[in-house]
Amino acid sequence: MIDPVIAQSGDDVLLEVKDLKKYFPVRGGFIKKGVGTVKAVDGLNLFVKKGETLGLVGESGCGKTTAGRTIMRLMEPTGGTIRFNDPKQGWVNLEKMNRQQMRAIRPNMQIIFQDPFSSLDPRMTVFRIVSEPLVINKVASGQELNDRVAELLRVVGLRPEYMSRYPHAFSGGQRQRIGIARALALNPKLIVCDEPVSALDVSIQAQVINLLEDLQHDFKLTYLFVAHDLSVVEHISNRVAVMYVGRLVELAKTDDLYYTPQHPYTEALMAAVPKPDPHMRDRPIKLPGEVASAIKPPSGCYFHPRCRYAKDICSTEDPPLKMVRPEHWSACHFAGELNLRGIVPTN
Amino acid sequence: MSETIGSPTTTTTTSAEIILRIKDLHTYFYTDIGISKALNGVTFDIPSRKVLGIVGESGCGKSVTALSCMRLLPRSAKIPKGEITFFRHKKNGNGSAAPVEEVDLLKLDTMGQEIRSIRGAELAMIFQEPMSSLNPSYTIGDQIGEAIILHQNVDKAEAENRTIKILDQVGMSNPKAMVKRFPHELSGGMRQRAMIAMGLSCNPSVLFADEPTTALDVTTEAQILDLMRDLQAQLGMTIVFITHNLGVVAQMCDSVAVMYLGRIVEQASIEPIFYNPKHPYTKALLNSIPHAGSREHKRLLPIRGVVPDPYSSIKGCPFHPRCNSFMPGKCDVNVPATVTVDNGHTVRCFLYSDEVEQ
Repeated sequence: MIDPVIAQSGDDVLLEVKDLKKYFPVRGGFIKKGVGTVKAVDGLNLFVKKGETLGLVGESGCGKTTAGRTIMRLMEPTGGTIRFNDPKQGWVNLEKMNRQQMRAIRPNMQIIFQDPFSSLDPRMTVFRIVSEPLVINKVASGQELNDRVAELLRVVGLRPEYMSRYPHAFSGGQRQRIGIARALALNPKLIVCDEPVSALDVSIQAQVINLLEDLQHDFKLTYLFVAHDLSVVEHISNRVAVMYVGRLVELAKTDDLYYTPQHPYTEALMAAVPKPDPHMRDRPIKLPGEVASAIKPPSGCYFHPRCRYAKDICSTEDPPLKMVRPEHWSACHFAGELNLRGIVPTN
Repeated sequence: MSETIGSPTTTTTTSAEIILRIKDLHTYFYTDIGISKALNGVTFDIPSRKVLGIVGESGCGKSVTALSCMRLLPRSAKIPKGEITFFRHKKNGNGSAAPVEEVDLLKLDTMGQEIRSIRGAELAMIFQEPMSSLNPSYTIGDQIGEAIILHQNVDKAEAENRTIKILDQVGMSNPKAMVKRFPHELSGGMRQRAMIAMGLSCNPSVLFADEPTTALDVTTEAQILDLMRDLQAQLGMTIVFITHNLGVVAQMCDSVAVMYLGRIVEQASIEPIFYNPKHPYTKALLNSIPHAGSREHKRLLPIRGVVPDPYSSIKGCPFHPRCNSFMPGKCDVNVPATVTVDNGHTVRCFLYSDEVEQ
């Protein structure tokens, strides 16, 4: 199978993931022997361009968070390649790096976590939390360290005077800002944002989204934005990748994906977005059954048992990812042939 | 406490349209670190056979309002002031216009016979987290059947039949097998369907749905909302839909009450809330969310600051520290009264009237 995604590798690309796999053993019974494998990420292909935001969406359990963490090598990949365009070293294969080598790369890739309550150590002051990466990488010390932390806090909209406080003294939105300051400390190129706003109140969500957009502009950051809220993803992303049961089903520019989806699963997602407009009440597309199990995925296309367009071939043959239109990939046997409905534009 | 409670009076007016009337409700939590005034004078009517949405951010008192009506508040909570009148339609007989009994829910003993006959049967509630609100050690069938046996005077076999019927109604595949399953054997969507089935099991007049789809995936959420809309139309229930998601409100509700810090700041039918909002908080909420399907990239307009903590007391309008239309000397001195700006559209803001809350 020729993979069209790989052909995109070039100087304007920062990250390229090919056939990424992450399996977890399932243990059961008295002696905890392996009884199966959860294929959390099962052959994921995508690339992220410099300076863009790539949204990675899918429903719970589809492997989007695992994908983000495996790309960061916070989890060891089971297979596949993760290539990163390091500003100093050029293209490197992250999956082949040892601990030492990873340490040289890590300052360039950081992560922001979903839950601002569990991702900050309650026994560390804000100063220690934000300065830790600087100390570990011996970037600054003494007064310089102090100044740098103060600067970082200002950048994310927190008062530097707060740096001696502990996380419990802050609200959810402020804690998320602390997490962002920590991620920014080493001037990274790539930030994996793992559901950064889903634990926040609506009015606070907007503050953090705006902050992320400003920081991207000011520091030329590249985001891999993992989220399930399709309205937020549409707002923040240049391109969007849709995952289903560990696989990429569609990847395109945001508008193309939202208005002219090329995969039946994306179509169902778009119909399900609750639109804040009472004149646009939609009947959802009924997806029969449940999300396929990542332990025993169905044969052929993983989506076929729930797909209203499924034909015989879908249950026997695994659909390859193909380019349907320029920069628009879909893993559906009938991509380009189906007339799928996208989201209805509001203006 | 039994006979005198609620002092039922029979009326035939008002009640045709209103099922619950909440008047100046105050609910306070007495904790070690102080008194948290969760509800600070909530007044509104819940129209019968419609879907009313209650929106607001966490801590604004949405859930406490529902729990106050259900009389399910924890021990630390007290209701020092207020009235909740339930216009109870007696379910005896041929479906002709039965007399309506007015029950003052706050006068009932929370553990007493009367509230227990109402709770579950006439006022039901479904909760956000289906995993923690279902009992892990009983089967789905047992848990739904319990409510049916308690309220409908039927035996176990008949209760199971009715359970199977209701599970079928909420779109569970293979309901006969489902009654034998335990909660952990079901997916999130299926558990939420079981919760809804439990809420509906006694055909209640009012169903409080507290963030029933917040923990679910979008495709499942859309199907559950669709199901609730269908059931509501079929059964003619009143649904009080509590959510922070304005998208879900737009899809589900006939009218909306917007809450902020224990008060209702605006109430209207669905269209004015979205197309002609009056209160600065409602406007700010609508501006702060990304609208799916808007082609142009508009910058979001966040609300500045954060929701203040519930132990602090703010002088004047509780929203004034975050408000874009803040008028010094006015908003920070008095609390605005609720005024009607349009037919059925009420708002609590000095932009529309100088009337001060007494």
